[in-house]
Amino acid sequence: MTTRREFIQTLGATGALLAGLDACGGGGSSSSSGGGTPPTPTPTSTSPILVIVNIDGGYDWLNVTPPNAGTNLGVYQTKRATLGITNPALLTDLGSGMALNKDFTGMDALHALGHVAWIPGIGMPNPNLSHFTCIDLWGQGAAIPAGNGWLGRFADTAFSPTGDVLRGLTVTPDLPVMLKGATRSFVSITSAGGYVYPAYLLSTTTVPDAATLETGWGTALSASSADPGILAATQAGKLFFDAQNNPAFGTGGTLTARTPTVPYPGDAAYPVQKLNGTALSTSLSSQLKLIAQMIAAGLPAQVYFSRLSGWDTHSNQAVDHPNLQRALGGSIKAFYDDLAAITTTAGLAQDRVMILAYSEFGRRVQENNGGTDHGTAGLAFCVGKSVKGGLYGGYPDLTSLDSNGNMKYTTDFRSLYATVLERWLGQAATATDTLLGSAYPRLGFL
Amino acid sequence: MADLTAITSWTLADVQHFARRAGFGLTPADAATLQAQAPGAAIDAWIDGTGTAYDPTAFNAALATADVVLEPLVSANTAVAGSVDVAAVAAPHPFLVQGAEAWRNNLNTAQALLAWRMQHNPHAFEERLALFWHNLFATGWHKVNNTALMLKQIQLFRGQGLARFDDLLVLVSKDPAMSLWLDSVLNNAAGTNVPNENYAREVMELYSLGADNGYNQADITQLARALSGWSFTFAEADYIQNPANPGQKFAADARFKVYDGTALAPDTRLWWGGAATVSSSQHATGTISLFGQTLDVTTTANGWAKGENAIRSILSMKGPNCAQFLAKRLLTHFVTTGYTAQDQTDVATLIQGAAFDLRVIFKTLLKSQFFFSAASRYALVEGPVSWLVRATRMLCPSLAAGSGQTPKGYPAWRLVTNSATTFDQMGMKLLDPTGPNGWKEHTAWLNSNTMRYRAKAVAALALNETRAYNGTTYPLFPTFVTTDWFPAAPASAQAVYDRLAALLQPAPIPASVSAAWLSALWPTGFTWDSASQTKARELAFLILCSPSGQLY
Repeated sequence: MTTRREFIQTLGATGALLAGLDACGGGGSSSSSGGGTPPTPTPTSTSPILVIVNIDGGYDWLNVTPPNAGTNLGVYQTKRATLGITNPALLTDLGSGMALNKDFTGMDALHALGHVAWIPGIGMPNPNLSHFTCIDLWGQGAAIPAGNGWLGRFADTAFSPTGDVLRGLTVTPDLPVMLKGATRSFVSITSAGGYVYPAYLLSTTTVPDAATLETGWGTALSASSADPGILAATQAGKLFFDAQNNPAFGTGGTLTARTPTVPYPGDAAYPVQKLNGTALSTSLSSQLKLIAQMIAAGLPAQVYFSRLSGWDTHSNQAVDHPNLQRALGGSIKAFYDDLAAITTTAGLAQDRVMILAYSEFGRRVQENNGGTDHGTAGLAFCVGKSVKGGLYGGYPDLTSLDSNGNMKYTTDFRSLYATVLERWLGQAATATDTLLGSAYPRLGFL
Repeated sequence: MADLTAITSWTLADVQHFARRAGFGLTPADAATLQAQAPGAAIDAWIDGTGTAYDPTAFNAALATADVVLEPLVSANTAVAGSVDVAAVAAPHPFLVQGAEAWRNNLNTAQALLAWRMQHNPHAFEERLALFWHNLFATGWHKVNNTALMLKQIQLFRGQGLARFDDLLVLVSKDPAMSLWLDSVLNNAAGTNVPNENYAREVMELYSLGADNGYNQADITQLARALSGWSFTFAEADYIQNPANPGQKFAADARFKVYDGTALAPDTRLWWGGAATVSSSQHATGTISLFGQTLDVTTTANGWAKGENAIRSILSMKGPNCAQFLAKRLLTHFVTTGYTAQDQTDVATLIQGAAFDLRVIFKTLLKSQFFFSAASRYALVEGPVSWLVRATRMLCPSLAAGSGQTPKGYPAWRLVTNSATTFDQMGMKLLDPTGPNGWKEHTAWLNSNTMRYRAKAVAALALNETRAYNGTTYPLFPTFVTTDWFPAAPASAQAVYDRLAALLQPAPIPASVSAAWLSALWPTGFTWDSASQTKARELAFLILCSPSGQLY
């Protein structure tokens, strides 16, 4: 556990770094693209879309963007004697003593375009190394009780209380706390079809008195109640009830079929496989394909949430981690490329979308026997044409770990949220601070 | 404060509240029978499973022989590499996931087995208890990849779920499925090796104390050393081969073993299937410092794993923290989430006073004025599996009736779990939680997707969905409106509603809502004909998928 003294030191260090956050941006400050003119970011869309990618399980980003110079490299080589990625042939130099693992498929190309903002060392005060505590804290985004999340509160504020049912969507079957508001939550949509009442209800049998039943169901979902359990059931049921048959789905309440314009990981034409040569199948590529389909269909969603699990690499990391990186990076790159072929009424989809990827924590610097245990500071990154690529915050000092051998964070995760809320989702500065419970310095990538 | 004194009398509504929470509900007739008994003795018998009402003879007989999930049909796919035409396996037969059939390793079959057990076990508390511990000690098939070992763990919960909590904790720590799930089998701390601390962290954070509640990172590392090398072995006879795919083998059973370099005998197989006579050396010897005490964890010559003492010291050194943790979990699952800090402390005091004897704890809690209070009534959203099972207990034939029908009047659970993906999509992938923290309960069960699939599941149940399989059409949930739902013909629409509400027991539904339903379904008069019987099904659907129908 972090001691009080360490916490104060960390705060001090963070304060110093925060002062320089904006200056650190500016586009390609450490780009590997050869020192040419930094690309000019596309102006923020008037209809921006945020796509969250949750890297679930606490990913070992130290092996994704490992140190490749200076004292950090020495510590890394010692503590990652077996699992460390130190061979320059396996890495792309990002500058500033940080490299990019080539197993992180496609990300070097996106970086070279100047479209990736890397935020190493992102984290929180007093991390406790628990998946579940950290997931809750990342979701809540503020020390605000009541079990709601930063994007749920955004929905409370920005969405119409009686409409906007498809404005916040998750393509996971669950509803993460991040997406829960006090009065509004996101809708979970896990497939392109099946939202036509009453066809989805029964597969083989005709629903008798279908119209009467639908009305009766709606009656039950419209009754008011002060009971928290009934209220929760009413809100969740009403969200689905209102989403079904929504004209935004298109004819018949089902999204028009869409063939991706580029191969995604797992597709037959995709050039990268797993280490053992088998297909790089991953649920993330299907999730991102579905999101692309929904964007192409013109759904009014402003925020999408997706997830890739499996990153809790206590063991078997040498095999699992490269495969996971290929799936994650490859899916993001394919999605980004696919968006270039989608023209929406509000413009080219690729101009409208920013991807935000994060994980609940990074992993211990010292490896165990074949894996890595829970750690602290993480790596978040944002991808998009409006992003000023480069490094933001500071790479943690591996020679100054906490008493448990974990990294000290350099950027508060709520600085990322504040930046996104204000500069991507268009919230006023004061509203942003209110949503997060405090004013956090903005990062310079937007 | 939580009044934990026992009730001395009970109403029919009290009995039904108890049966919903401590089992999977009782029909009005069965509840009336139980109500005739004094609550103290009745609850003891319910928990202990003693007395003729809980006699498992017929249940076990049906379990061992009935082809209740259509397993031969489902797996008879010769087009799939590695599958065999299991129609050749003589039926009737059990669920084909244990023992000699372990190679089938089919999650849906195992889920169907558990659902069927929940629906028909006369000792319902045993299954409710297993479900509770399964959520607390959440272990996932997708990593364990062995159905037989998953079911072995569930059986541990049935057998030891009322033991002392420290004994249960030790047994779970030695459980083969858990050893695979949280990497105990890969925790090598021999010599200077750095231990894998996955299990050591979660056993305190998720299984006994709660995050930030009485331990620190150093304790985790030390406990990981104490439990290093904790693994399992199995006998040659338990290494079961797929007859159609000889390379595919699964352990049908397993035995705890510390990998400390000693002989494997009487077993011959290492945890991953390799043949060996001596275990590798992965066990840290010497002492550890845990919670400020020094413990020798070296395994003794007779195989005694002294790391057990480290597990037990979670309770002996951190008893108040553990009791608070357990109180929270018991309250959240069985009583209410609306408890106060004082209520939690009162239950924790009960737990410590009972020296963590779970049988005493459960009996006291489930007899208490607190449990039966008005505030606890319908205070919880029910998890989707038990919610659906409870509806089948109310609407589908009993074991005795169903076993006498052709085809059997049991739900085709195997088709439900396989084809309708009902459990997964309703938010509780039984035997396969996403992570070791299991499923969050109460309102966390509900989102737009889970409500959608709850509606789909009860549409199948109430509206009599069928599924054709290999040329035969089966009802997913056999139901008989005139014989089972309404043995006495109702005389009015209101009587239909009253009977269904008595069976399905939703939280109070606003009168305006039920009135709107009845006037829409029966706009002009009432006759108990086939049309009205269909409308009774529709009404059952509306009750089950209404907000009130999610509570229990």
